[in-house]
Formats: sequence, C-alpha cells, structure tokens
Amino acid sequence: MISLLGVDKEYDGLRALSGVSLSIEEGEIFGLIGPNGAGKTTLIRILSGRMDPTRGEILFQGEKVEARHPGYRSRIGLVPQDPACYGRLTARENLGLMARLYGMGREEAVPRVEELLSWSGLMEHADRQARHFSRGMLQRLSLAMGMVHSPPVIFMDEPTSGLDPEARSSLWELISRLSGEGKTVLVTTHNMEEADHICSRIAILVKGRVREVGSPREIKGLLGADRLELRLENGAEGALSSVCGRLGLAWRREGDLYVVTGENIPGKLPEVASGLAGSLRDLHYREVTLEDAFLRFMREVGE
Amino acid sequence: MRGWTALFIKDGKLILRNRLLLVVLVIYPFLIMGIMGAAFYDAGRPVPLGLVDLDRAEEGGIAWLGATTDEVPALERRFRYRAVRVEEFGSCEEAEEALSTGRASMVLAIMTDGESPRWLGADLTADQVELTLEDVREASSMRDYSSFQEALEPRGGERNDLVLALREKEYPHIGESIWLDKESYDASGLIMRFSSGVAEVTEYESEEEAREALARGGIDAVIVLPRAFVYRLKALNETAIVPVIIDQSNLVKAEFAETSIRGFLSRVKDGVAEEKMRAVVAGLYVLVTGGDFFGTEVVGLGQIRENLETIKGALADRPELAELVEGGIDLATTVIEDIEEAADYLKGTALPVELDISSTAGRTLSAKDAAVPALIALSILWTGVLCGAILMVVEDEEGMRERIALTETGPLALVGSKLLLATVVVFAQSAVMLVLAVAAFGVFASNALLALLVIAAASFSCIGIGLVIAAFARQVAAAVIMSVLVSFPLIFMTGAVYPLSQMPSFMQWLAHAVPLTYAIDALSGVMLRGEGLADVAGRVGILLAFGVGLLAAGSMLARRRDAG
Ligand SMILES: Nc1ncnc2c1ncn2[C@@H]1O[C@H](COP(=O)(O)OP(=O)(O)O)[C@@H](O)[C@H]1O
Ligand SMILES: [Mg+2]
Repeated sequence: MISLLGVDKEYDGLRALSGVSLSIEEGEIFGLIGPNGAGKTTLIRILSGRMDPTRGEILFQGEKVEARHPGYRSRIGLVPQDPACYGRLTARENLGLMARLYGMGREEAVPRVEELLSWSGLMEHADRQARHFSRGMLQRLSLAMGMVHSPPVIFMDEPTSGLDPEARSSLWELISRLSGEGKTVLVTTHNMEEADHICSRIAILVKGRVREVGSPREIKGLLGADRLELRLENGAEGALSSVCGRLGLAWRREGDLYVVTGENIPGKLPEVASGLAGSLRDLHYREVTLEDAFLRFMREVGE
Repeated sequence: MRGWTALFIKDGKLILRNRLLLVVLVIYPFLIMGIMGAAFYDAGRPVPLGLVDLDRAEEGGIAWLGATTDEVPALERRFRYRAVRVEEFGSCEEAEEALSTGRASMVLAIMTDGESPRWLGADLTADQVELTLEDVREASSMRDYSSFQEALEPRGGERNDLVLALREKEYPHIGESIWLDKESYDASGLIMRFSSGVAEVTEYESEEEAREALARGGIDAVIVLPRAFVYRLKALNETAIVPVIIDQSNLVKAEFAETSIRGFLSRVKDGVAEEKMRAVVAGLYVLVTGGDFFGTEVVGLGQIRENLETIKGALADRPELAELVEGGIDLATTVIEDIEEAADYLKGTALPVELDISSTAGRTLSAKDAAVPALIALSILWTGVLCGAILMVVEDEEGMRERIALTETGPLALVGSKLLLATVVVFAQSAVMLVLAVAAFGVFASNALLALLVIAAASFSCIGIGLVIAAFARQVAAAVIMSVLVSFPLIFMTGAVYPLSQMPSFMQWLAHAVPLTYAIDALSGVMLRGEGLADVAGRVGILLAFGVGLLAAGSMLARRRDAG
C-alpha cells in the first residue's frame, strides 16, 4: 500500500534517514522501532506529506507522493508524537472542528463525531475541556481526531509514550481494532513489548537506517533465541555436548553458566534433563522477548 | 469557507474560555476609560498662577530698571544736560545711599563689558524723571528688576547696557489705573478680571517669594507685572514687557500655563485697546461739542461755527467781510462733518473684537477630547497585536498547527480567520471605549459612526502586526514579550507621545510606515477636526492595505513554518 524507495533525509547537513526502503501492506499494523533520535518522527513527517525526502520516493497505492499534495493528505491520518488538541475545547468540539476542517458538512460531521466519541470511549467526557483530560484520554482523543475523515492509513508517532499500563493497553486495544476494521497502521515506538503485542510486522530503525524487517517472531528468531541456562557439576561438559549434538542444539559457556540455544527448546527439555542426569545442578529456561533481542542487537551494532 | 467558519468559531471559543485574554479584551476598555476619566476628572480647572505686581511692592524700595541699547552715550548726554548737577559715585552702595537720603532722585549705571559700572546720580524733578524714562524707553527695551544684582545678571542671559535706579514712590505713573466698563482697575486688578475662570491667581509680595512657590509646585507659572504697567498699556507708544516664569520641567503643564497666560493677556490688551479707541472717539466728539479734550477745556467747533454765524449777521452791511466769515463757516461745517464721520467710523472699529475660539469640529475642545483618539488608537495597537499573536501561538503551543496543515485548510484560512475574528473583537472593544468616552465622560466625537469605521480599519491593520510577530514565537509567553517589544517603539514613532513635526525627516518618513500613525490621524480627524468620509477614505484605505499586506506576510510565514 505504501512503499518507500531509498528515502534519504538531511537536516542542514545532519542525516536523519539514509536509504530507507520499506513496504507497508494494506491492513497491517506496521511497527517502526528505534531508540530516540533514530529518525522515526522524521519518517512519519515525510510519510504524512509534511515534507519531501532529500532523495528517494514514496509510493502510495503505486502513485508517487508529493509533499503537500492535497489529495494524498486527505487519505492519511496522523496522530502526532505529543497529543495535539485544543485544551480549551471539549472533546466533542475538537472532533467537530477537525470534521469541519476536513470539509464535512454539519449533517455528516455530527454523526461521525458521535461515532468516534463512543469508539474511543470518551463519550462520557465528551463535553469536558480537553485540558482536564488524563494523558491516556488525550491520546485516545488525539487518535480519534486523526481518524475523523476515515483515512485508510493512519500514522501514529509514539502513541503510548508516557502512558500508565492501563491507559496503554486500552490504546493498544483501539489500535488493534483499527486493523480489524481494515485500516493500515504505521506506529512508531521504542517500546518493544508493545511492538511485539500489536504489530504484524516490525522494522528496526537505528541511526536513520532500517536494520531488520519482519514479523516479531522472525525478528526474535533473527536477533536472538530462547535460551536454556544450566549449572552443571564439574566434568559434565562431555555429556552436555553429546546431548546437544543429538538434539541439534548449540551450547556455549558464559562464566560458570552453560547456555543452550536452538529451536523448540521447551519440547526438548525432558531429553536434555535425562541426558545430563545427575550432573544437573540448576536449570532455567528463558523465553526471549523482543526487548532482549533488540538490546542484544543494539549491543552487536555497537550502540 | 467551511474551514474559515470552523476556525473562526473555534478561536471565538478559545477567547471566551481563556480568562487572561478575556480580561484583556473585556475589562480593558473600562480600565482605560476609567483611568482617563479619573485623570481628566478635574479637567478645565484653572491654571494656578502666581502674580507679582511691582506697583504694589513695598514702599520705600528702589526701582531698578535695566535696558539693552546701543545708544548709551546719547542717553548719558541727555541725562547730564537735563540735570542741573550730576554726581558720580564709586559703588552701588554709595548710589543707593544717595537715593535713600534724597541727595539724588535718579541714578544711572553705565555698564561697559569687563569694567565695573560707572554711577551717575542727579536730583531731578518729577517731570525730568519721566522724560528720562521716556528717553530710555524710546531707545531700548526696558525691564524691571528688584535689585541691582538682578539687573547686572539677568536670568535670560541678556546683558543690560544701562541700569536705572529711582525711589519707588517717585516712579512716574506707578499704581495708575484704567477705567473699563465704568470700573477702575489697577495692574493686578486687570489681571484678576481677565484671568477669571482661566487661571487661579495668587498674589505674592516679591518675585523671590513667587519663585519659591513655583519651585514647590504650588503654582504653574509666575507673572511679574512691571512698574507702571497700566500706564504703559495706555500710552500709545509703549510696549509693556511682562516677564512670565514657567516651570518647564513638565512640558505639558508648561504648555497649558503658557497658552492660558497668552490667552488672557491678549484679552487684557484687547480690553485696553478698546478703551483707548473709545477715548479717541469721545475726544473727537469733544472737538465738535466742546468740553474736556484729554485734560484741556476746549470750545467746540459747533460753538465756533455759531459764533461765526453771529458775526456774519452783524456784518450784514459789510458784504466783503461777511463773505470772509462765510468761508470760515463753510470750513467749520466741512470739518465738523469730517470729524463726525471719522468718529462714527472709528466707533465702528472700536466695537469689541471678540475672538470666538472654536475647533474645526464646531466646539471648543478640552484636553480630554484631544486625548481620547490617541488613547483608543494605542489600545487598538496594543490589544490588536497581542490578540493576533496569542491566537496564532496558542495553536502552535497546542500542537494543532501540524494537524491543521494536514487538512484541506490553507495558511490563508488559518491566518485570515484569526485576523477577522480578532478584528471583530478588538473593534468591539474599542467601540465600547468610544461609547464609554462619549456617554460616560462627555468626550466629544464629531462623527462617531465614521470613527467606528476608522477603528475597524485600524484594528485590522494592527492585528496584522501580531500575526507576523507570531511567526517568530513558539510560546505564548514569547509572543507577549515580542508584542511589547514591537508595540512600544511603534507608539513612540507615531507621534502619539512626541509631535511628529518635531522629529527629523527620516523619523517622519518612518512614522508613515507604521499603520498606527494613520489610525491616530484619521481618528482624531473624524472625532475632533470634523473630517468626513471623503477626507479619511485615503487613510482608511492605507490601513486596510497594511492589514492585507500583513495578512499576506503572515500567511507566507505560516506556510514556511508548516513546511519545516
Ligand atoms: N527539524 C529538524 N532540524 C534538524 N534536525 C532535526 C530536525 N528534526 C529532527 N532532527 C534530527 O534528526 C534526527 C532524527 O530525529 P527524529 O526523527 O525526531 O527521531 P525520533 O523520532 O526517532 O526520536 C535527530 O538527530 C534529530 O536531532
Ligand atoms: Mg520522535
């Protein structure tokens, strides 16, 4: 649905993006993960048509996108990094204003606003001024404001940063629902758990470059794996080596810890245990998270 | 257009719900007009003046007169010639002593640059004193002083070439009075009569005392009436110099005092001139009717003609002599007719020339009237710039600019809707001010409807300034500070504080690059100078053009920022 082809962006000499090529498919929730300053916001700004890339191009449904191309802008929705709304307007007024600015007539705008209020769970706060809202409510309002014109694509820049766990999960739920409604969502985050949870695909952006792209599962597999941590009696290395060879697993020593990695470790656990028999002092199985994978990846690339 | 109205409504709500803005926009007119009302509460109150009448100064003193002239040798010659015996003194003290003991009735000090004065004294008769004084007055301008020291170093910096001293009580015509409307007035009486209502006059014994009161701030100016003031007013070839001391530390106060003093002194002059003319006219009639002609009993021309008729009757038998007398009768008849005609003619011009001072607006303006147009214009600038800038920056601060940039709303709608809304608000605010000024404080506005039009155009252009300022500020606080920084010099540049005509030409040129200049000029034009629509149309057009230009600049800057 959206393709980026070799996108570069320079801010007076500072290179914020280099050679970013990505393809975002219709209906997916695409996560863009990267530390602060990786270029996520820059990418969102380019995608939302607020500025042109220095080099490269963006295709939307196969058509080349130009910044400030009005037809393009009306087909995308934006949820900016900081919740944006008028603090002195109520939720209903904020949504109504956006509807009017997107060119809807009153008879079209009013039902749409009501729909969004209930969709975002803000109905009971609809007539309160937004400046009294909690950050979670503001984020939901901000998301609803970005969707007023029912765009097929929504860009969200770090929507969950600064939210408490409850607000975060309610926002996740909204985002997942979006994809259920057939919307394409591009969401940036530096929260790996979140990406793991809701994204169908993920790109890892470091210093303006896309390092990896794939499903969370693939990324995890690529960047790291589940690990089995063992403590053995002295002289049990031979047994470990033969068990691992038989089961197709790799092992290595990290200090006085033996680390076993490979496919489907939980399924092979009984065999490992019986193979090591009496020399097994302690066993600990750790499922890898995206966070682990990412941190390890960052260590490897020298960040 | 849908976008415009939506933004318009939104900003309206923002203003209504922003307490700070609301206070500025709603309370402001009342505050400003309240302050103005309080400031001018006592307006039109008489200017407090001090008066020193040297005619009334204590008895037994010495009158000092200083003169600036290049005819000193001639004057000295005439003085020596007139006096029987001239005595020379070594010092001021000696001369003063000779005056007080009566050895000399008049002393002349001849001042030569760099040398000590030469002192000449003589015992003159009253007539000789008067003649000498007249000599000096004819040759120079003369001023009265209260001491030799003062005459030696006059305050104005001018140097006297000649100083005269004589005993106060021998000063000719001192304390003389004048009859006006069947009442007699001496010098201070005249001032009191003509200054009533305009000034509140306090008399002081001496100039020193009056100067002290001036320094304390009890009075705004001091008038020193010279000796024989009334005589000098009456004498045909006299100009009375009236020293006026004004406290110039406060220019506005000084200006008020000077204007009112000039005003009533010219009325004194007119009153006296009228009286003089009456006397001349009466004298002319006396020539015909006979009677007291300026102190001399004369036989009237009418009587002379009658006498000639009698003589002619008696000479009936001497036709050649009767014919001679007949010529005299004809001449008398012609002269009588001419005199009567001349007197009638002069009587016509002797009618009081009353100055009917009024403004072009058709009514005398008070300081309060004059202050209001500038006050309203300044308030338009201040609130307009602030309102425009804040409305723009609030949007930025809330992060909404990015959002709006993605809708179909262009920068023109974004900026233009604010301009229109703020114009409506600032217009309403200033209209309230105008109404308050007129209704509550009786301020004059010759054409209030046209004033509203000017106010609208002025609001439009001043808000434009705020829109441009907003492009350089990201937070409301920064916008407020920048508004102050920009408005303040603009206020000075428009001539609201200091008259434009007093500024160098490049400043005047610069002033015409500031919309407020046109706003103040047009507003005072329609309120005070009775200007009509055709007169101010040009300036209103310029104000609107400024607004449109600033709107274009504001939209361009907004577009550039949104692209960044
Ligand atoms: N307007 C800008 N001008 C100059 N440099 C910028 C600008 N915006 C972002 N950058 C720089 O570009 C890099 C990427 O920034 P950004 O896209 O905001 O990263 P992220 O959103 O991933 O934290 C950073 O080094 C940032 O300092
Ligand atoms: Mg960012």
